[in-house]
Amino acid sequence: MSVQSLLSQYGDKYLSALLMTWKLTALAFALAFIIGIAITILRISPIRPLRAAGEIYVQIFRNIPGAALLIILVYAFPYLGLLWSYYSCVLIATSLIPSAFCSEYLMSGMNTIDFGQIEAARSLGMTFFQTIKNVVLPQALRSTVLQMTNLLVATMLTTALASQVPLNPTDLTGIVSYINTRTVGGITAFAISALLYCATAVVIGRIGSWLDRKVRILR
Amino acid sequence: MSAVNTSIKDVLYEPPGPKAQRRIRAATAISLVALAVVVVLVVRQFSVNGQLDPKYWSLFTRFTTWRFLGRGLAGTIEVALAAGAVAFALGMAMMLARISKYRILRGISIALIEFTRGVPTLLFIYFFFLIAPQFGLKLPAFWKITAPVAISAAGVVAEVLRSGVNAIPKGQTEAALSLGMRDSSVFFKIVFPQALRCVIPSLISELVIVLKDTTFAYVVNYADLMQNAKVLISNYDALVSVYLVTAVIYILINYVLNQISVALSRRGMPYALSGTI
Amino acid sequence: MVNKQSLTGSPGHSGFSDTSGFSGSSASPGLAPVIEMKHVDKFYGSLHVLKDVSLSVCKGEVVVLIGPSGSGKSTLCRTINRLETIDSGEIRIDGVPLPQEGKKLAELRSQVGMVFQSFNLFAHKTILENVTIGPVDVLHKSRKEAQEEALRLLERVGVKDQANKVPAQLSGGQQQRVAIARSLAMHPKAILFDEPTSALDPEMIGEVLQVMTELAGEGMTMVVVTHEMNFARRAANRVVFLDGGTILEENTPEEFFDHPKTQRARDFLDSIQHHV
Repeated sequence: MSVQSLLSQYGDKYLSALLMTWKLTALAFALAFIIGIAITILRISPIRPLRAAGEIYVQIFRNIPGAALLIILVYAFPYLGLLWSYYSCVLIATSLIPSAFCSEYLMSGMNTIDFGQIEAARSLGMTFFQTIKNVVLPQALRSTVLQMTNLLVATMLTTALASQVPLNPTDLTGIVSYINTRTVGGITAFAISALLYCATAVVIGRIGSWLDRKVRILR
Repeated sequence: MSAVNTSIKDVLYEPPGPKAQRRIRAATAISLVALAVVVVLVVRQFSVNGQLDPKYWSLFTRFTTWRFLGRGLAGTIEVALAAGAVAFALGMAMMLARISKYRILRGISIALIEFTRGVPTLLFIYFFFLIAPQFGLKLPAFWKITAPVAISAAGVVAEVLRSGVNAIPKGQTEAALSLGMRDSSVFFKIVFPQALRCVIPSLISELVIVLKDTTFAYVVNYADLMQNAKVLISNYDALVSVYLVTAVIYILINYVLNQISVALSRRGMPYALSGTI
Repeated sequence: MVNKQSLTGSPGHSGFSDTSGFSGSSASPGLAPVIEMKHVDKFYGSLHVLKDVSLSVCKGEVVVLIGPSGSGKSTLCRTINRLETIDSGEIRIDGVPLPQEGKKLAELRSQVGMVFQSFNLFAHKTILENVTIGPVDVLHKSRKEAQEEALRLLERVGVKDQANKVPAQLSGGQQQRVAIARSLAMHPKAILFDEPTSALDPEMIGEVLQVMTELAGEGMTMVVVTHEMNFARRAANRVVFLDGGTILEENTPEEFFDHPKTQRARDFLDSIQHHV
């Protein structure tokens, strides 16, 4: 099937699939970032039970396969009285997994800080929160730009989980299976989706390295 | 001042004064209660919905259950190892092309790396599951899952290997060349073995990703752990318990792999990623 | 000295280098000590790093702490603004006991400058921001006012032309001078120097000591941990010799260097002489 005939037949569906993938990626990444920061606060808090809870959270969600998590949310949770829409399940799965990695990256970003600078901040009379605001957070965030960029791409790849549940509109992976169950010769469908994923990833990567060069901390 | 193993957790706070100590003690007590409440609520949710009924859990006291799950796990491990090996071979080829003298090879390699890294595994799976058969390529289920998982890991493997090669000091190459070794033997006998040692932790992290991707085996009807879990569910009508146990098995295996990676990177294999999805 | 622009803003005076008959750890009568340590003990686990240390530093005094590595001199210096906690004893700044935590401790630290061995400039901020962040964020000065003063201080320590660079673009000596300017911007009652030249290449040590000597001349109260014996001779009012966590000798630089009383001080001075 030629690109033209495919697009004339499924063009609208492709556009909405692309937008679905973008929307899921953006939302999931935003949620992952917020949850990741919250979990990181737990992990560095001086309160041991909270630290432990944060560690357990990270180990669960960085090690569970996305498919397993989605299956549990979609099929097992209703038995526990938690019936959520397919869309919610996909969004939850695609944000919980990246959130664990987000926390890991923030931790490693904080560990790149020269600890002497924390003492210097204290010596200037900065309180705990001023030290966090002025030294710890800016340096941790700046040194994790590349990792966060990779995380954004990885989050996009994770949103392909959306193809495993009935969604309308479906996402860029779902549409390939949709077209191929109706039309033969869907290698074009595959190619278009793959290209759109790749193009998005390349653009994200470019923006990420530009931002990294801009905010990178010379050491 | 800062010892080798200090982490941000140890330096972020000052030694607490008496007031801070009181606050920490109070917060610890409150958080323990809060966490206990969470656990109670979770257990209650199970209990209210009848999911604590022994009929859902008694199957795990039977040897046959574990043997069946074990068979599924063996299927998972077979796919993961095969996909890992194929990904390594493909990644190696892509890395060699990426660092070759020829511009065209480098260009092709960069495009392939971007392609395999930018496309979700599931899309590759659909390629082998739905599209390849249209062209007469009918693979057994094993390869329908192994090939796409391998391809989607290959680009990362190539980049990991390249980072290892780049980390080997130029002096090593110069020294070997000055001994009269040929370019290719310098690379394969001197540079690459050291590079490989450096990146073993990262390769193990990548194996975790491969293992996670194998859970899509249900798409192509290959009998892996997840697929066998589904069979158990239909046999025993115990969905929640079986899926949870299965998830825990995956988590434990990946956790152990990650811990091995961390341990190796502490033992002078410095190029561990802090893990990727 | 009269025409020279003052680093501290306080009227220049020559300190107490003529203090004669100084003895023991008590402060000179009539002068309230800025820093006062009484019977301070500190342990690292079972290691007794500070043993019953008492020390007073008067306003305008320059006290140099010397001793072999592991003698506890750095630890002593760091207890004064509670970067290290103590296990018993008492430390007072301007007569007020050192607060143990919270806002009070932060407020006290804003009044006591600290210069580190490894400079510890904030890597993500420009040189100018490094000097203004304390006054703006802690002392709540206006940004404009803080910048004007920061530029004055940077000019004074000779790195004004680097104001818009980041620390990694400066040499070690320049970074350390910025660190001194950062401390001065807080108008501290005293400045603690923890081996300020130990991480520097030899050719840069002089420029940092030069700034410190000028500060001393202007009457800044200073506690300096250093191995630079020439600086101690030139700028110190008093030399305190520590070994094994104990103050073994306390004297004017002339007396200490020319007539050390204890064998260990003699051994230490000998070993230094051989190496330099």
